[in-house]
Amino acid sequence: MLEPYRVLDLTNERGLLCGQLLGDLGADVIQVEPPGGSRARRLGPFAGDVPHPDRSLYWWAYTRNKRSLTLDVGRPAGRDLLMQLARTAHFVIESEDPGALARHGLGYDDLAAVNPALVYVSITPFGQSGPRAGWAASDLVLWAAGGPLVLTGDSDRPPVRLPIPQAYLHAAADAAVAALIAHHERAGSGRGQHVDVSAQQSVALATQSYILCDAVGHPPVRRSAGGLKNGPLHLRLLFPARDGHVAITFLFGSAIGPFSRRLMEWICEEGGCDAATRDKDWIAYTEALLSGAEPLAEFERVKQVVEDFTRARTKAELLEAALARGLLIAPVAAIDEVLASPQLAARDYWQDLPHPELGRSVRYPGAFARFAASPIRPGRRPPTVGEHSDEILRDALGLDDAARARLRAEGIT
Amino acid sequence: VSTRALADVRILDFMWVMAGPAATRMLADYGAQVVRVESTRHIDTARTLAPFHAATPGPENSGVFQNLNAGKRMLTLDLRTPEGYGVALDLVRWADVVTESFAPGRMRALRLDYETLRRVNPRLVMVSTCLMGQTGPRAGFAGYGNLAAAISGFSNLGGWPDRAPAGPFSAYTDYVSPRFLALAILAALEHRRQTGEGQYVDCSQAECSLHFLGPALLDYTVNGRVAGRVGNRDRDAVPHGVFPAAGEDQWVAIAVETDAHWRGLCAVLERPELTRDPRFASAEARRTNESALETLVAAATAPRDRHALAAELQARGVPAYAVQNSPDLVRDPQLLARGHFHQLDHPTYGAAPVEGSRFVLSRTPAVIEGPAPTYGAANEYVLRDVLGYDDEHITALVASGALT
Repeated sequence: MLEPYRVLDLTNERGLLCGQLLGDLGADVIQVEPPGGSRARRLGPFAGDVPHPDRSLYWWAYTRNKRSLTLDVGRPAGRDLLMQLARTAHFVIESEDPGALARHGLGYDDLAAVNPALVYVSITPFGQSGPRAGWAASDLVLWAAGGPLVLTGDSDRPPVRLPIPQAYLHAAADAAVAALIAHHERAGSGRGQHVDVSAQQSVALATQSYILCDAVGHPPVRRSAGGLKNGPLHLRLLFPARDGHVAITFLFGSAIGPFSRRLMEWICEEGGCDAATRDKDWIAYTEALLSGAEPLAEFERVKQVVEDFTRARTKAELLEAALARGLLIAPVAAIDEVLASPQLAARDYWQDLPHPELGRSVRYPGAFARFAASPIRPGRRPPTVGEHSDEILRDALGLDDAARARLRAEGIT
Repeated sequence: VSTRALADVRILDFMWVMAGPAATRMLADYGAQVVRVESTRHIDTARTLAPFHAATPGPENSGVFQNLNAGKRMLTLDLRTPEGYGVALDLVRWADVVTESFAPGRMRALRLDYETLRRVNPRLVMVSTCLMGQTGPRAGFAGYGNLAAAISGFSNLGGWPDRAPAGPFSAYTDYVSPRFLALAILAALEHRRQTGEGQYVDCSQAECSLHFLGPALLDYTVNGRVAGRVGNRDRDAVPHGVFPAAGEDQWVAIAVETDAHWRGLCAVLERPELTRDPRFASAEARRTNESALETLVAAATAPRDRHALAAELQARGVPAYAVQNSPDLVRDPQLLARGHFHQLDHPTYGAAPVEGSRFVLSRTPAVIEGPAPTYGAANEYVLRDVLGYDDEHITALVASGALT
């Protein structure tokens, strides 16, 4: 789909996913790294637990379908080569602090001057503008700044993040969408533009619009392990199973209430509760609790009924019942269980990419969508440091053997 | 003259609840013409979700629904009536893209599956999304993003090693997958622009969201290690966590990634002697003594104002931020400066607060054309202005009961 286009990917760990997605869609993505390799290559875990720039699993996760060019853009000769590449590139993606590339003469204005059709995408913690654009950030800090963090965790302990960093992935995925919006417009106008992505704003999506509580007049909700506290209501969405945990959408109202009724019908059938408990009005249950018509203590009892029921059954039993009865229950899967999923196997989801330098293949996540007419093909494995420097300098810039040898000798590439 | 980047993109949107509408909201912000079909009988779950205006539940009161559907035209339509089905096919002829997020098989039952619709509009792009994909033994597993977050490995990872999983918040994958959906729509349109060919796209919420767990999946496939819950600890930064601040249930997030950050933290906490404490002299030493370190830091942060403390740490280059809930977020100087919040004119409330685009396009910025319509409020526009129906036709449709 994007086969006609070339991407210059200058990002570090903040933005790698954006270029990988464009590469998945067929673009020729050149990952430009400083000599010695990107700082993202220092992020663990590492293959075999051996720290090495070519063994970072973070790097592997987000640089498939890219070619690596090492280039010292801080030196004039390196900058000139990048400018030459930018003349014919269609996208540039970068994730340095605001203004950092402009100080090297590689900001949007610099590149647009030589290639007005360029779509130049900047991914930063807080965006290019605003009083805190220069603030230092990390995954945890962005999760706090954008709102999802406060909603998550046990109520008697601090709010807690996911240990697999998420914030910059939200931003980088947004950046890929933004790049294609700008690209679509360019097809008509012939003109590029600057795309400015703020990770703080991107992660706010994961608040499920609770960011707006104060603006609409709803009291702020608070965290409660596997659920949330909405005023006096302690909603619960995770329950124990005999062999782990399950997620249940145990909520009420006209859309979800009927599912909760079916769950209570099953529990009653199996002797887990009496008919009066089963026959509560699960559609209007929230309103009954808020008005006091249903005591909050009774809701606590109901959640205990559900817990006692699920605790006596395995995740697989609960999932089978969910499928047979139309219930909103799913197993809480550990990573090994995700890899063993019969659904993902049946859909041939995983892709095994050969790593010849390791003498083995590595199993990666597969296509993010199934395009019937233009399928995403298994790609190339993540590049080693500078793996494609020579071919890019030769083919994209037309440099002869002597010129390339000189650049190598001078440490430019 | 402001230009709309996607002004020539017409989307007939049958998606509902959260993930799908979040995707088409991104495209509507940049000018895509989105006509969303909904039923007043089978209510959109998003209309039943908090936060609510004045904390009052009701189908026109949901802040979630309004946030995800601003800028769209909505048509209330009963697809099971012949008249409603006819309107749907006219919209298919109008559309470049049809999107839907029902359980697999539902569109076929409604005679709105891709094979049927491509005969009506041969250049059509159609994108389906559901939890597990359109095929496979679990295709019929329907539900919400909290279930996809559980089954694809997210929920198990959030929380404390000595406690049950706390998960990421609520329907997490509903807030990962919209970007992949929007990307799939734009990529399929690009393919059509190059080749003239429409196509069908199947986007599984679980499959696309797994890209956000890439390093953990590889740690298993390469090293055989199954990631577990670790609270807020980090592979590299130490101390790294959420520490108490003054006030009830108030917190500040701090990430010490370098020795310079550590010295900055000690200075701001007015504990300069800690920089000379051998237990904390290097990242390795701090890792070894992390529990003691966390206790010391928590004691020092507890009386401090969370915003002032974060600002002082930032002045020394230390990554830190107040852990913000809604009252903080809607006053956050950075979000305000970025224009993150918009007040849209609303017939019921006067103003409907929504979030803006999460990114800026310098030459063709986002424009939110209006609030999410109340039930039926945009029907006239869709039927008359989009489809060109005349008075007689519209009157007959109203009388048929199809517009419900």
